[in-house]
Order: sequence, then structure tokens, then C-alpha cells
Amino acid sequence: MATQLNLSDSDSSDLSDQSVFTRRSNRSLRIAEQERRKKEEEDPFVLALKYFSEVEAGTPATGNDELENNLVRVEKVAFSRGLSPEAISVMLDFAMSLRMGSSPCARVLKCLLPASVVPQEAVVRAIVWLTVRKLPISTQVLFMKWVLTVFDMIDAKDKLRAIYGFIFSFVTDENLCPFICHLLYLLTRKENVRVFRVRKLLEQQSKLGRQPYLLYLLSLYKVFCPELVTLSIPSRMKSGFKNHISPWKSALIAVQKRNDMQVASSISLAFAVRDKTASRKRKHAHLDLPSLNPVTIKEPQAAQSSSRKLVPMQQIQSFAQLLQNMHRIELPAQMGSLLGSSLALQYLDCVQDESALLRLNFWLGYTLHEEFLFCSDGGANKNPEEALQFLNRLLSVQHFLQEGFNSSDAFMYKFLNVWDGSLLRPQILGLLSNIPVIPSSQIKTLLFDPLMQLFFTSSLFFKCGLIECLNHMLLKWLTWHSAYALEDDLDISLNSHTSINITLSGFKDSVMELVHFVGRLASVGLQLEDCHSLLLSFILDFYETVCDTFLKFGLPLVVMPPPGVFYPAFFAADPVSVDRLAFIMHRYKVNLTSAKRQEKVTEQGFHISRQTFREFNRYQVFLVNCLWNSNMCYPEADVRLSDELLAKSGVPQFSTRFDLIHHPAFVSYALDFHHKCWPGRKDTDLNSIKQSKPWNWYLEYLFTQGFDGLKDFVQNSINQRVMMAGDGCDNVTQSQKLGSAPHIKQPLLS
Amino acid sequence: MSLLKPFSKLPDLNTANILLVENEEQFQQNLADTLVEETAVTVNVRLAKSLPLPMENDESRPRIDLVVFIINLTSDKSFESAKASLKYLDPGYFLGKVCFVATNARHASVRTGCLDALRQLAALLHCPLLFAEDQSPEGATSSARRLLTILKVASGLVPNTTALYLSSLTRCTMPPDIDQPSFD
Repeated sequence: MATQLNLSDSDSSDLSDQSVFTRRSNRSLRIAEQERRKKEEEDPFVLALKYFSEVEAGTPATGNDELENNLVRVEKVAFSRGLSPEAISVMLDFAMSLRMGSSPCARVLKCLLPASVVPQEAVVRAIVWLTVRKLPISTQVLFMKWVLTVFDMIDAKDKLRAIYGFIFSFVTDENLCPFICHLLYLLTRKENVRVFRVRKLLEQQSKLGRQPYLLYLLSLYKVFCPELVTLSIPSRMKSGFKNHISPWKSALIAVQKRNDMQVASSISLAFAVRDKTASRKRKHAHLDLPSLNPVTIKEPQAAQSSSRKLVPMQQIQSFAQLLQNMHRIELPAQMGSLLGSSLALQYLDCVQDESALLRLNFWLGYTLHEEFLFCSDGGANKNPEEALQFLNRLLSVQHFLQEGFNSSDAFMYKFLNVWDGSLLRPQILGLLSNIPVIPSSQIKTLLFDPLMQLFFTSSLFFKCGLIECLNHMLLKWLTWHSAYALEDDLDISLNSHTSINITLSGFKDSVMELVHFVGRLASVGLQLEDCHSLLLSFILDFYETVCDTFLKFGLPLVVMPPPGVFYPAFFAADPVSVDRLAFIMHRYKVNLTSAKRQEKVTEQGFHISRQTFREFNRYQVFLVNCLWNSNMCYPEADVRLSDELLAKSGVPQFSTRFDLIHHPAFVSYALDFHHKCWPGRKDTDLNSIKQSKPWNWYLEYLFTQGFDGLKDFVQNSINQRVMMAGDGCDNVTQSQKLGSAPHIKQPLLS
Repeated sequence: MSLLKPFSKLPDLNTANILLVENEEQFQQNLADTLVEETAVTVNVRLAKSLPLPMENDESRPRIDLVVFIINLTSDKSFESAKASLKYLDPGYFLGKVCFVATNARHASVRTGCLDALRQLAALLHCPLLFAEDQSPEGATSSARRLLTILKVASGLVPNTTALYLSSLTRCTMPPDIDQPSFD
């Protein structure tokens, strides 16, 4: 009891202690606050800002010590921490209003390094000052460069967009034109594209020549309204906006790095959605995905005059919200940001309006071109991480949408021609496998020629990677076909967002080209790499896709592997390859039989050429003769050596060397089986397995070792009698007795 | 004028000799360093600024199995120099023993037409044209690997194949003018 009391006593005292403490801390906080305020009032920086906001117009600038001191203070803060939005506003206003003449103007502009964001009102006001006061041309240019540099940091763009026409009027100014065009390029939306503006730009072009900055703006206009811009845009444009060299860039990066290190989250950034891994925020690092930054950032916009209220993408937090607002989504200012948000991708996936995809494609094509084909640093990627992340993101987006983008496909066709085969290999091969069906007339020049040159000069691992990539490509094409091909309408849309269609026969041609191409690569590749089993494994992967095109994907097409693939796989020393080959042959047979059956049922069915059946039969006969009948040297064999030559080799019973017992891949199993079957025997005679009883046990034994492909093959092609009904069908039965091997009826397809 | 001949000397056992010709002499050293690290065969790397090679050590020079022209696409001189050097090669070299390596192909300051001219030249001579990322060490390693693949074939170290066969598979072709390919 006493202890309990004691305890409660101490508890209460604790409590009182706490309350005292909180009270005390509250007080200390208050004092701190007061002190801070006092300090702020005395803070030379705050005083300096006050000076700049209140200084009277007409105060002389030269020899003004007060101005000098204050300016130095602001510069110090700007270059160390960056300026707050309010400070930016004050300083910009001071500079652009020319209250103290134009001499301090450039100096002020040069120190306008934002710590977080730039208020758009300040920018709008400054643009207005641009017309009111007579600034020197160099200062005007400097200001425009500053706007372009900090464009991504301007907190909202709605008011800037509202004065689009106003900004457009500066296009006629020869000095400002390149910068104005760039700014307009960043601001333009579909509704801004008007006939009179296009006319103005064309007029300007005839005056100044075909300037890249004008072309760029026009090409964007063309994306939005192709009917208004009839001009043809050259394919390979020099980098259009050469405004990258700005005096703020390095200082800005330094300031942001420092701020990032100090406080990462305390500043309420407008860039909250940004990917955490890319924590640095810069302009002109295009590969850094921008945040979902709506055109309008201010929340309460209920009293908007427009009748159709738009909901910025950023405000959509859940899928339910997305569904409700599907019809009135406002796209973000920077299309690249869509790639970073899964909700935005959902929207993109089911959106009807094509302009979103057009804009995204335009942005993506431009970015890929600038960063990977037209690098200012010649490909010495200072930031390989960034490129890697960007491509990975692009890949995951394509995976999500289950299709590629036009612009990334076009980029791939170009990139393959200058690729060294190792730069960002996994990503590039990933993008390559997403390429949609290419018509057979173009597939060679676009795809096969560059790939062939890369394949044969590269390492084994590249070869494996490329075969795998082409396998994925084929799988995607076939899946696409099985999902989109309609029974009565043979047209297949290549891409859900384009109107390019391809007929079924065109599609079949393309698939056949691809399969033949891989067959060629595989045959020669195996020859060059000495039938490497890793490469062989990837090649067999590919043929596992090919052999099932009819049953799995409903494509009436059967292409047999070339001899250069079939024989190396059969003669391989590892049992896995032989097993997989047997499986593939089994699937070919199932596909061909059911195709045949369907051909009988539906009169106008497709036709599989006799050549394919002939090839299949040849392989089938070879397999059965070698593995089962122990007779490698039969008259019609593809691989034939004269008996005298074989006799000279000194190999006894050369004809049986590739049966299930003696095949190098299985001989160890045969020995093991022999040992288990006759444990007492001293001398090993593998031929004794050929007795009918041990033979069946041996087969059982092999099947328990996991050779399922072999099992399927043996059960379906050898023991069972498959009778092909019909007139065009002659069942050749080949029964050869060798030793005491079982009697075989071997069906052939024709 | 002395022609470099591919078959005038006997080969050494298990040895491959490669000649890297580069006017700027920037990338060849990196490549050479990586090439000689190969252990399966002895690789001798000879460097030259241009052809013809000097007469003095003509005797001691081993048989050259593969001649590689490294061309920096940002410099016109590089291309011109390589083009001028070509005529000091025996026609026998063009049966699979010449290879072009282009650097800086993705650079913004490549003059339009320069790459096309090089492609045309390589296609005309039936030679492969490789692209290399010369700025990064990984790029240098991977180009060295690819050169080694060709070199081994060219010096006859790979059974089942010959230099002429490989070059018929890898020789440069002219790509179409791709922008947005239209499939009509």
C-alpha cells in the first residue's frame, strides 16, 4: 500500500514537473519568437529588401553608397541561400521598373536566384514593365533568359497563359524573338494556336529566314493544329533553342544543392509529388521528370468565369476521383510529368482526346533526341544514372500502357544505327522489344540491317540478349494479334492511338520475316559461337514461341526452324537441349495436326504450304530414326556421310550412336540405368537395354528424370498411331528393326 | 608508295595483329590498352596516325590481320585523313580485314552529311562500321571487345568461319532517312 501511494505520489510530482516544464518551454518559445522578430527587423537583409521596395523613383544610382550596401547584402543572401518568393518579387519589381535608372538593373537580375519558387505575379508584372519602360536591349534579353531559366520554378502558369497574346506580340522584336519563341513554346496550348498567329510567325520567318526557334514553335503549332500549319518541318533540326547558356545555371544548382542538404522538406515546395530519387531540381536537365505541376495551382477556383470547370491533374488523388472528373481533366503544364504518375497513366490509357498523347509524344521525341542522339557533350553522359532512371521509367510506362509511343519507336530506329551495342543495353533492348509490328517492306531496313551488324560483331551475351529481345517482340506481336484481330475484319490496328492498319496477310508476312530473320541469326550465330549451349537455350526459347503460333495465338502460320538450328540442338551434348527440341517438335506436330483438321472443317480455311509439312516430316523422320530406330544413316537423311568414311572412323555401329542410349546427352543416364537394372553385372553392355522389357523401363526411367518434352514426343509421335484422314495424305510407315528395338509405326504429316 | 599487304608475311602461332589508325590519336591508346588484356591469344596492337606506314621497320612488322580506321565525326580532318590512307592498302584487305570505328556519332556538333558520307564509304568498300562511345571507360571496353571478335576471325583463329564470310554479314548498309516512318 505504502509503495503504491509512493508511486502515485511520484507520478503526480512528475506530472507537475511536466506541466511546469511545458509552461516554461512555452515561455521560452515566445521569447524566442520575439527575439526572432526583433532580429528580423534588424536583419540587414530584411532592411535591404525594405529599401528596395520603398526607394523613390528617380534616386540617383551612381555614387549611392546606400544602394551599394543593400545590393551587396541581397547578393550575399542570394548566392548562398537563394531568395524567398517575396524577395524575388520585390527585387524584380525594383529592377524592371527602372526606379533608379537602368544601371543597377542587370546586376539585380543576375542575383535573382530563387530558393523555392518564383511567384508568377512578379513575372507577369515584369513582362508588363517590359513594354512600359524603355529597357536597354541587353537587359531585355537578360530578363527573358532569366524567365526561361526559372520557368519550371514559377509557381503557376495560368496568368502567364492568360497574357499569351500579349507575350506573342513581342515576336516581332528581332532581338527578343528567339527567347519569346522559347517561352511561347513552353506556354502554348491548343486554344492558343490561331490562324493569325501562324501567319505572323510565317511572316517573321520570311523576314528572318528559316530560324530554328521559329521552326520549333511552328512545329508545336503543327502538332496541335496540323490543318493550320502546312509548312514541312525538316526531320533533323539543329537544337532549336540555344538559350541553355545562362548566367544563373551554375549558381542556381549550387544554391539548390545547399538548400537540399539543409532542409529537404521544410519548405513547402510546389514540387511535392516529385520522385524522391531525383532530388535535385534543375532546368535543362530534361531527363529529370518534372512534377505534376498543374497550369493553375491556386486551390479555390470556384468562381471561375468559364462555364466548364477544369480539374488539374494534380488534384486527382484517387481512382474514384479520376473517374468522376474524367471529362474535365486539365493536363499539366509539362507533359513529361504524366510519366511519373500512375493515375495520369490511367487517364492516358482511356482518354479519347488525342492531344494529350500528341503532346506527350512530342515531348518524349524531343527529349530522347536531345539526350541520346544529339548530345551537347557528345554522349559523355555526366549522369548515366539519370539516363538509366529515365529509360527505366519509360519502360515501366510502356509496360503499363502495354504499348510503345510513336516517338520512342522512331527514336529506336535512329538510335540502333549509331548504337555501340553496350550503352544502356538492358533498357535499349527493352524498348526494342516494345516496337509494334513493322510492315514487311520496311522491316529489313529499319530493324534487320542495323541489328545484324550489331549481332555478328558483338559478344555472346549480346547475342543471347538480342535473341531474347526478339522473342519478346514476337510474343508481343502475337499477343497483339490474338487480342485485336477480329474474325470478320482482318484489319489490325497497329496501335490503339494511330490509324495505321495492317491486313492479316501483311501481319503474317511481318511475323514470317521476323522468324526467318531470327532463324538466320541463330544458324550463323551458333556456327560462330561453336554451338554455345547458352545461346542455344535462348534460341530454343524463341522456337518454343514459334511452334505454338497457331494454337496459342490463333495465327494461321507455321514456320519450321532452319537446319542450322535443328541439327545443333539435336547433336548437343546436354540433354536439356535435346529434350526441348523434342518438346518443340511435339508442339509443331500438335499445331500442324489441328491446323490440318481445321482446314478440313472450314472450307475457306488458310493453307499451310506443303513445303512446311515436308520440312516437318524430314525432321520427324530424322528424330525417330536416330533416337528410336538406332538408324542414323537412312537413305533420305539430310546429314549423310558415306558409309566407307564412317567405317574408317573406327566407331563401332556408327549408325546407332545417336539413339536414346548412345546419344552423348543420354549416355550417362543409360549407364546409370544399366547399373541400377543389373547391379551385379561386371561388364557393361548398353545394348542389352534394347531388349523390349528393359527398353520400356529405361523410357520410364528417363521420364522420371524430368524429360517431359521427350515424354510428350515419344508418347505422341511414336507409340500412338495418328491417322491423317483424307485424300492428300499418305501415311508412310517406316518400320525398321534394329537389334530388338520395338516395332514402330511412324506417322507423317503431309 | 608502299602498299600494306595482307598475305605477304606468314602468321605467327596463336597471334593476332591489329593496326589502329587514328588521325587525332585520342581513342586508339585506350583501345590498345584494353585489347592487349586479352589472354586467350596474343594480341599485338600497332598504332598509326595515317597510312602509309614508314618503310624503316617494314621488315620487323608482323603481318597485320585487321586494319581499323577510327574516325571522329566531329572533325572533318579525321575523315579526310582516313579516306586518304585507304589507298595505301592492298585490295586484299577489303575482303574482310578493314573495319571503321566512328566516335562521337551522337554529338550535337556533327556536321550533317558527315555520318552519311562515312556510311557511304563503308558500304562502298563492304566494310563494317562500328560505333563507339569513346568518352566512357565502359564504352572503350565494349568497343575493344567487338574489335577483338572481328580480329579473331580475321586472323583465322575461329574455326568454321572466315573474314570474308563475317564481313558479308556485318558490312555497313545505308539506313533510310528515318524520321517518322510512314507505312503507306
